[in-house]
Amino acid sequence: MNAGLSVAEHEILRRELQALPDTMPPRAVWQRIEEQARAEGLFTAKHHFERYKWVAGAAIAATVAMIALNSPMGSNPVVDPNDGATTVPTEVADGSIQDLNALKVESQILERNLRLLPEQPAVMKVSTATTIQDLQNRIAAIDYRLNDYTIKLEPEQEAIYWRERVRLMKSLVRLRYAQAQRIAF
Amino acid sequence: MSKFVDIQIDAAIVKRAARGDAKAHEIIYRAYSSLVYSVGLRFTRVPAHAEDLLQETFIEVMRSIGKFRGEAPLGSWIRRIAVSKALMFLRSAWHVRGQSLDDDWDDMTPGHGVSHGVSEQPDDAMDLDAALASLPDVSRAVVWLHDVEGFTHKEIAGLMGKTESFSKSQLSRAYQRLRPMLAHSVSAGDAALENELLGQC
Repeated sequence: MNAGLSVAEHEILRRELQALPDTMPPRAVWQRIEEQARAEGLFTAKHHFERYKWVAGAAIAATVAMIALNSPMGSNPVVDPNDGATTVPTEVADGSIQDLNALKVESQILERNLRLLPEQPAVMKVSTATTIQDLQNRIAAIDYRLNDYTIKLEPEQEAIYWRERVRLMKSLVRLRYAQAQRIAF
Repeated sequence: MSKFVDIQIDAAIVKRAARGDAKAHEIIYRAYSSLVYSVGLRFTRVPAHAEDLLQETFIEVMRSIGKFRGEAPLGSWIRRIAVSKALMFLRSAWHVRGQSLDDDWDDMTPGHGVSHGVSEQPDDAMDLDAALASLPDVSRAVVWLHDVEGFTHKEIAGLMGKTESFSKSQLSRAYQRLRPMLAHSVSAGDAALENELLGQC
């Protein structure tokens, strides 16, 4: 007897329990894990770079094209996409409170710059729309984590999230800036 | 034997993962995610909670894989993290509800699954999955850990911060609940065997 079950009964129970099918998780879970891992710096820089180099490439290409065309600024709002980056260092050596605050301020400046840009055009290239959407999703995922009151983050961990947020915001501002310039031209 | 242990991951993949290789981590995730997710579902019964546990488990795997020595199978290590996270979740749920992990059998009402005792006949349509789901959370976890994952009462007691007697008692009460359904399975098995024997005559 095993806790009230005969050996045969227990064996049947054990076998049937083990035979219960496993359930596949939704695909989105891996994306969330990947985003968090990147935000926490759990993946090596090499792969990190590979993953995002096309975003950076798009931003650089857009900037180069804009300069080459020497597009007029016209009546569009003049926003320096590097605003904030000049006064606050992008890379923070440690997770001290000062650095954390600096990252928050830089993030606020970038948010302000983004708001100053004209609305997105109703029609745009699929690749641009996808890139913008991707960046916005990643920023939203970080915001979700930073605002989750059930998780107590250490200042170092918080700084990792804020640093990643600033980096993504810069890419987004550059892309939207280039887009606004293209429309003006 | 636990399915976690059945899965073999190349040591080179584990080394790459320890160096922070995203692709290696994805391979490990693909290999174990359905098992971890299933543990989460068995323990919590809520897909959204199971997804959270899956995420927490693999983030912990990524953070700690550098400390994994390879003395035990990778699956056992991941399983322990998953189980630990799931039990932590149960503790927090109890905390929110102002209850404890001590014993939740008294919370069961006649309308909540099958009533107490061994005499209730199971509904024919009630399968093992549903019977398992009808158990109180802690008992269901003990049954799963003991009979599917192969943990001993001592190990379960350690994971839950309880005594071995607690684990045994939870298992015993769960078996009482599941027994009518087993009797159905045993008699069905006997009938199949009988038919087989008659067919041979």
